[in-house]
Amino acid sequence: MTFSKIFNASLIYSTFRTATPIIYAALCAAITQQADILNIGTEGIMLFGAFMAVAVSYLTGSWALGVLVAMLGGLCIAMVMAVSHLRFRSDICAIGMGVNMFAVAITKFLLNAWLKQSGTFADPKIIAIPKVHIKALEKVKFLNDTFNDWTITEWFVILLVIILWFVFYKTVWGLRIRAVGRMAQAAQTAGINVNSMKYQAIAISGLVGGLAGAHLSLGYSAMFVENMTNARGFMGVAAMYFGGAHPIFTALGCLFFGFTDSIGARLQAYGVPSQLVLLMPYVATIAILAISMATKKAMETKRKSSLITAA
Amino acid sequence: MQYILKKAGEKLDSEYIVSMEGIKKTFGSVQAVKNGEFNLKKGEIHSLIGENGAGKSTMMKLLYGMYPFDAGTVTIEGKKYESITPKTAIEAGIGMVHQEFMLVKELTVLENIILGFEPTKGLTIDFATARKTVQKYIDQYNMDIQLDKKIAQISVGEAQRVEIIKILTRGANIIILDEPTAVLTPQEARRLFEILNNLKADGKSIVFISHKLNEIMEISDRVSVMRQGTYMGTVNKVDTNENELARMMIGRDVFLNIEKKKSSVGDAVLQVEDLWTSGEKEISKIRGLSFDVRAGEIVGVAGIDGNGQSELIEAITGLRKVEKGKVILDGKDITNLSVKKIREAGLTHIPEDRNTRGLNRQFSIGDNLIEVTLDKEPFSKNGFLKKDAVKKFAEELIEKFDIRPAKAELPTSYLSGGNAQKVVVAREVTLGGKLLVASQPTRGVDIGAIESIRSILQDVKEKGLGVLLVSAELEEIMSLSDRIIVMHNGKITGRLNAEEANEEELGMLMMSGKEGGEA
Repeated sequence: MTFSKIFNASLIYSTFRTATPIIYAALCAAITQQADILNIGTEGIMLFGAFMAVAVSYLTGSWALGVLVAMLGGLCIAMVMAVSHLRFRSDICAIGMGVNMFAVAITKFLLNAWLKQSGTFADPKIIAIPKVHIKALEKVKFLNDTFNDWTITEWFVILLVIILWFVFYKTVWGLRIRAVGRMAQAAQTAGINVNSMKYQAIAISGLVGGLAGAHLSLGYSAMFVENMTNARGFMGVAAMYFGGAHPIFTALGCLFFGFTDSIGARLQAYGVPSQLVLLMPYVATIAILAISMATKKAMETKRKSSLITAA
Repeated sequence: MQYILKKAGEKLDSEYIVSMEGIKKTFGSVQAVKNGEFNLKKGEIHSLIGENGAGKSTMMKLLYGMYPFDAGTVTIEGKKYESITPKTAIEAGIGMVHQEFMLVKELTVLENIILGFEPTKGLTIDFATARKTVQKYIDQYNMDIQLDKKIAQISVGEAQRVEIIKILTRGANIIILDEPTAVLTPQEARRLFEILNNLKADGKSIVFISHKLNEIMEISDRVSVMRQGTYMGTVNKVDTNENELARMMIGRDVFLNIEKKKSSVGDAVLQVEDLWTSGEKEISKIRGLSFDVRAGEIVGVAGIDGNGQSELIEAITGLRKVEKGKVILDGKDITNLSVKKIREAGLTHIPEDRNTRGLNRQFSIGDNLIEVTLDKEPFSKNGFLKKDAVKKFAEELIEKFDIRPAKAELPTSYLSGGNAQKVVVAREVTLGGKLLVASQPTRGVDIGAIESIRSILQDVKEKGLGVLLVSAELEEIMSLSDRIIVMHNGKITGRLNAEEANEEELGMLMMSGKEGGEA
């Protein structure tokens, strides 16, 4: 039966691999969300980062430089968002959408005008992020299939989730950013510079967003395609909502997306129409948000009801 | 030697730990403080009083650096400040307990206390050290605070103590409290006064902002008065009395204690039978509540904020789902009907928050006045608004209820709290009906408006409507009501006739009969 061909050990890595770009995106959104800023521009920051990573890697032959420039590019876009939102008080969603549209246009333009390419840009001179090969794992098939040959950025995302969890919940900066996000006035009265904290959150978010793009174009693949983020940034935002901006729960939400995506890809091989398969991650996004909202609401109603006595 | 003597002499000259002179502050087109002055001596409790909008809170927020001041000088412990931010204020030893608590609900008490001043150990926050330091203050002033609870889970009185501890741990010597007793029961207020006296004995200087004259006479050493943004003078408590202070505040004598008129009481216009409804908090859930309001009487609902009063009003007025039980208005079952249907049955409603439910602040006075009846003639016909009729009606009401400025087309966002509330009151009272539900009708309005709104409620009752009055001001409940219901924990803990009620007893019932206990 095909069942065992769909659900086998390699599904674990495939799920993780598909989820990683979304996890980066979701973390990008989670950082600003902790400061009560909805970073809808995650998609655009990521796309811009993806382009910069490929372009720099192609031109310099260094993946590390590509990743670095992608992160700096993400930072630049994020700072534009920060200044217009925090200094000029424009609506963050409007700026975010603006950034998303701008990123699609500018990457297409630069691809044509600068690199003289259009549509898809793949070239042997694009140096991808290296994979980590651990000899010791080769002996055990399961471990070899599941954990060997991950790219550096795939390992790093696990570290990043833990780092952000630690920063948010164990450090001074984290306590302050959470206070800023939940009640800015209280933070202000405590002598915390609210605007400065928000700038910092957006800046770090930009770096992570750029890294998300770099991983997508240089780690997940080794090319740039127009609009290659393909709503991963938005899925990240959805996962961030699902996880309440908590890095670990957010990452779990992303893994669910990765899971549906991988299952879909496998089903395609067995005659399931590709349109349906391509639909799956989006259906999953809606489903996961709807379910999490519905359960939250049901719990809320139950908690508030006078007919049920709290235990 | 001579030098040292001179320096010591200078220090004696400045007996004030804080002095503010010639302060001005403008917000947009409103001059909140025109000529502010304030002096604070070390180790005194100094009350700053004035009507709502007199600029007393603004003065203290300027001192705490919440906003920059436009003109004037501020001297703290002999040092002149050109500008102040909360950070410099904290460093200068100033702490402020705001009217709205500056606490993050989702964080724990301990996290809130150390916010901004977190001790660290390596990369992490050193919670063990923090706990030790905070506990020292809790023990020293004998406050009862649970450090590991989330702010959302503790009572208002406890949250206020958290605020005080918070500023003490930040090394404050000057403590500003902005209307601290507004949210407390008389017993909790007494407890706060004990804490304040302890702090004073420890050499802390305290600024107490209030407009409750009886409290001011109890707690202060000196009293400064502001009126319409201007400093009116400072008096020693021992040299003054409540009447003089009231005159300084308002510029004339006031009569808040209107003589209660007896009107003929008729049949029940509102019957609430075994009502169950959901609550935002465990203590605000309503489980099986019954009472009635008869025509021609005012029934006052007393209770500490958040004990189910808001939920009860919402359930009666159709804004919250009734889970079990019945609400009957003038013989008609209105349980879970739409707000429109309930209003058509004869219910009028002054909501507790005029800014979210009472008014559309962007709309004009005229539009707000017809909000409930805009689909009826003469204000509209065949779906079209009749602007002339609206204007005529609005101008009539503006004159009758003395709403200022008297411009029907002015957006209500330009109105002061008192005048905005008068718009709501004018609209609802003019509707007539059978029952008026008035929730916190005088919250955040000046004394002049309080006076007129209270007399309007009396008139409504005389006209034969039933009035259900919810108020956090005990004094308001006692001076207006014919009967009083006390709520605690979503239950009725007392039913009294107004003549036999006193503040002490009501306070006890508001805490469910447990003296000094915590809700």
